[in-house]
Amino acid sequence: MTIKAGDEFPQVQLKYIPFNATNPDACLSPQVLDTKKDFAGKKVVVVGVPGAFTPTCSAQHLPAYVAKADEIKAKGIDLIVFTSSNDFFVLSAWGNSAGVEDKIIMAGDANGDLGRATGLSVDFSKFGLGSQRLTRFAVVIDDGKVEHLFTEPDPSDVTVTSADNILSVL
Amino acid sequence: MAIQVGDTIPNTVLTYAPYNPEHADVCSVPQPMNTHDAFKGKRVVLFAVPGAFTPTCSETHMPEYATRAAEIKAKNVDIVACVASNDPFVMDAWGKAHGVKDSVLMLSDANGEFGSAIGLVNDGTKMRMGPIRLARFAMIINDLKVEYLGVEPARGVTVSGAASVIAKL
Repeated sequence: MTIKAGDEFPQVQLKYIPFNATNPDACLSPQVLDTKKDFAGKKVVVVGVPGAFTPTCSAQHLPAYVAKADEIKAKGIDLIVFTSSNDFFVLSAWGNSAGVEDKIIMAGDANGDLGRATGLSVDFSKFGLGSQRLTRFAVVIDDGKVEHLFTEPDPSDVTVTSADNILSVL
Repeated sequence: MAIQVGDTIPNTVLTYAPYNPEHADVCSVPQPMNTHDAFKGKRVVLFAVPGAFTPTCSETHMPEYATRAAEIKAKNVDIVACVASNDPFVMDAWGKAHGVKDSVLMLSDANGEFGSAIGLVNDGTKMRMGPIRLARFAMIINDLKVEYLGVEPARGVTVSGAASVIAKL
């Protein structure tokens, strides 16, 4: 059962390592990101990707959101979250390698909770990624309600889930 | 019931992204690697970590092996490999972050098959690290038989570190 526009975005706990502005090389303690409590009263864009450090995700998907983060926030978005089925250490390292800083929260769904709750998990075993990975999606959530949901028809490509497309619907 | 010295390692499929010197920045397509096919007739040092890019693994465990891989191979070892339950893209990126090139084979046991088969996995769910994480250990494998096994009893790197393994070679 997959979520769709109009639904309440499910409540799950993801984990992330906050950006340390004073000392970027030092790791801060991991924090829980609660998709109900921390999104309440806010407008949030959540982007799911099959894998940190994978070719499409690294070359196309994340960099565009980093470049357009300010533009997205200027259109009333309070938080941008990138998530995948990797753990939060991996997400943090990936964010560091892409110069994310504090523009995007890089949250890990290693336990697969978000995938199960949204129905947006697919089997990527043939790509060497395992059988329960988040597919490529982008969702705009307004005070807990799914306003727009885009799921990439071909997860190895970036079309409807791109930063530009999200900007066009905001 | 965990694997012991004298046992034969299980025949499982791990994956890795082969090192391509012409495309050092780009990830190559992950390939499957059957442990018995790849390690038969060879002497292998295999070290396992709970997670790529995690503090102990990145600051202490991996760097030692990265800098001493040549020394290890000079002692009659054919392959130095690192395995974790991260996927092959993450293992590749982590290897690149430590400049291993082709000195350490970065292996992915994404489904935990290898770890489960040897009884050296832990549940990381409470830490939100996922249900299957390999324990921290190092093995010397000779023609598929376990010659040395050092499983880390607590946090930190002692019996699973490069220094301990070199002392046993």
